[in-house]
Amino acid sequence: MSAIPSRPPLARLFDDRRTMVLTLLAPVMLFFIVFNTIPTLWLLGLSFYNFSLTSGMPPEFIGARNFVQIFNSRNGIWLDLSRTFTFVVCGVGIQTVLGAALGFLFWGSRDMPGRRIALTMLFAPMVLTPVATGTFFRFIYDPTFGVLNAISNGLFGTGPIDFLGNPSIAFWAVLAVDCWMWTPFMTLMTLAALGSVPKAELEAAEIDRVPFLRRLSLVIWHHGKFILMLGILLRTIDSFKTLDLIIPMTKGGPGQQTRLVAMEVNKQAFESFNMGWSSAYSVLLLLISIAMTSVFIYVLHLRRRREG
Amino acid sequence: MTVFKSPGSGSKFVLPRRSLLKGGAALGMSTALGAPFINRLFAAEEHPLAGQSIEMNILGIAGWVPSSLGVKMSPLFADFVKEKYGYNVSFAFAEAPFSDLFQKAATSLATKSQEYNIIISDSQWLGALAKPGWILKLNDVIEKNPALQLEWYSQTVVDTYMTYPDGTKDIWGLPQEGDVEALYVRKDWLEDPKEKEAFQAKYGKPLPQTFEDFDALTMDEFEKIAEFFTRPDDQRWGFAQQYSRVYDFATCAFNNFLWSRGGEIWDPATGQIEGILNTQQNADSLQAFKDWLKYCPPGATNYGIAEGIDVFTQGKVFSTIQWAAVGSAMITEELKGKVLVVPPPKHGTGDAAKRICSMGGQPWVINAFNDEKKMRVAIDFMNWWYQPDTAVEFAKRGGNPCDKATLSRDDFNDINPWNQTYKFMLEEGRSRDFWHDPKYSEMLAIQQEGYSSFVTGQSSDPKAVLDYIACAQQQILSDEGVAKTAPSDACATTSL
Repeated sequence: MSAIPSRPPLARLFDDRRTMVLTLLAPVMLFFIVFNTIPTLWLLGLSFYNFSLTSGMPPEFIGARNFVQIFNSRNGIWLDLSRTFTFVVCGVGIQTVLGAALGFLFWGSRDMPGRRIALTMLFAPMVLTPVATGTFFRFIYDPTFGVLNAISNGLFGTGPIDFLGNPSIAFWAVLAVDCWMWTPFMTLMTLAALGSVPKAELEAAEIDRVPFLRRLSLVIWHHGKFILMLGILLRTIDSFKTLDLIIPMTKGGPGQQTRLVAMEVNKQAFESFNMGWSSAYSVLLLLISIAMTSVFIYVLHLRRRREG
Repeated sequence: MTVFKSPGSGSKFVLPRRSLLKGGAALGMSTALGAPFINRLFAAEEHPLAGQSIEMNILGIAGWVPSSLGVKMSPLFADFVKEKYGYNVSFAFAEAPFSDLFQKAATSLATKSQEYNIIISDSQWLGALAKPGWILKLNDVIEKNPALQLEWYSQTVVDTYMTYPDGTKDIWGLPQEGDVEALYVRKDWLEDPKEKEAFQAKYGKPLPQTFEDFDALTMDEFEKIAEFFTRPDDQRWGFAQQYSRVYDFATCAFNNFLWSRGGEIWDPATGQIEGILNTQQNADSLQAFKDWLKYCPPGATNYGIAEGIDVFTQGKVFSTIQWAAVGSAMITEELKGKVLVVPPPKHGTGDAAKRICSMGGQPWVINAFNDEKKMRVAIDFMNWWYQPDTAVEFAKRGGNPCDKATLSRDDFNDINPWNQTYKFMLEEGRSRDFWHDPKYSEMLAIQQEGYSSFVTGQSSDPKAVLDYIACAQQQILSDEGVAKTAPSDACATTSL
């Protein structure tokens, strides 16, 4: 009878499936608790305090007063939220439509010469830092020496247009830059979604001469919707937090025209150091983000529930 | 040694003259050669850091010439302490733009870090840095260091860079760089015979040419000059000033109008803002501030310090109100001899005309959490900074010292083209700073939003804008306990 070689204790530890799962999960859970759960709970607690870093006073418990102040503020959360929702809906909408269109274009042109170079160039805006992009576009938009003004004036004789200083244009000028930056992301997600569609089903549909729109709804959308919706969800959450693009471009101006919710949190927390108030504001934004995510997930699973 | 007995000297012994001379020379030589070592040994014994090496960190303002001068001159301090006190010091530097520097300093100081041992603060931050106890109170330091007991050029220096709360004797900062608003004009355009003739023909008076001419100028008279040089077809405009929403840019530029036209922004004694800021008179000043946009290049509502420098140095504007501190950036190599730096025009007419402009400039503040060694070096640094030689060197490199001795030198006005105006505007009553309250950042943000909203046309009623700002600021000071009264019921309806 041959002796069974003894196994190291670490290997024996994984014999029990439950222990193995817990051991593998532990680092992730630890990371999540330390860097996510505790700060979130801290944030929640701080939202009930009056605490300013520059006051030199200890935190004072004030119940829900921060929340009441936010809801009652004259120029506060409501205007910022409506502006932010417009930014998110318009921005993500345009990026999805354009991104999907470009995605289909590249999907259907696999043999096109220079496709890889074109794709690389297309994705370039996405990898730039928003601060750098914002700074570049501030110069591009400049009414005195900006290249966009030179072009528009040269072609159409528009005269100088103050893209970032005119209250009726500034918001859309910033949104256009956001779309320039993030449409490639939606193109990428569209390509990934299209890549997840089984070739066999596409070929079968083609042999059966199924019209393109039917193919789109029955085959492509059926398989690709999860990836595409994930892209939309990620962009929605990201767009809701837009800050680093706006700071170099307009700093929220002119007036309040480009002041989104993240600008206000940044101002209150890191310029005015009102930690209690900004925590309360952040809690509300967190709840809104959770609500939006839930709606997405609900819509995504609606059909499955109906079918089930 | 042979000893001679001199005639008539009795029993006294006398050294020969040659030996005496030799001995004296040897003693003198040895003293001269040995003095530095003896001094160093003496200093080493005297100074607790002698023989040690210390690393210091300075936090300053990115892209700001005077701030960088403080940093660039620090090797001179290293040489000075090595020689005088026998210790080595080296410096590392961190910087951030104006609008982000407080954030960088505050987040570090809030953790009681000594990451930045010496900080170039902005004047309005004194309260926000002093109240939580982040910076060192300097009264005792000044009392123990005679070199810091300077006579400053005017009380404005003390009020702006040193004192918090306003009106008290509590000192928290020492002036790193003095700064005032100045009007930079293109001297070569003014001296052009064709322009002179055309202006005379159009307005029936000559173009001003000298410091004195501009000193006597009112805004109404200056407006004609700005109008004259505004030629959009030639890509030239008459004027530029700061309207930007960023940091305090619009506020500083507008306060020139507000104060010079007799307005006030608050009552420091009671913390009252509502009813003081939002007067019809100040609303008219805000309208006047906006009206000057017609002589500015397109996009001027986004102009801050850098944009003002750009359009002036590119030859797009005839004049701009700009800080004296950026003189070396405004007067480039190409523009040397072509620029006149003069006081901004007065507001009003006749004897009632006056000018009160915003103070700029920054104080040094010392991190209260410095360990003993770094605190000692920081204080040595301050002692060195205000030495006459250092102050003159600072001025020669383009900085603006604040002590009376340096500014009173006969050659001071000739050191830099803006020095005469700097000195003139630093005199009492010609420039002033706004609040030093710890809540300044919040109050400033509301104000910047309001002014930006008005100048860009998002809001059309200047009185309504001031009502909104005054009510919001009154609420902040009331919550803080600085204002004795809460905002009135009328504030419920204000908005931008």
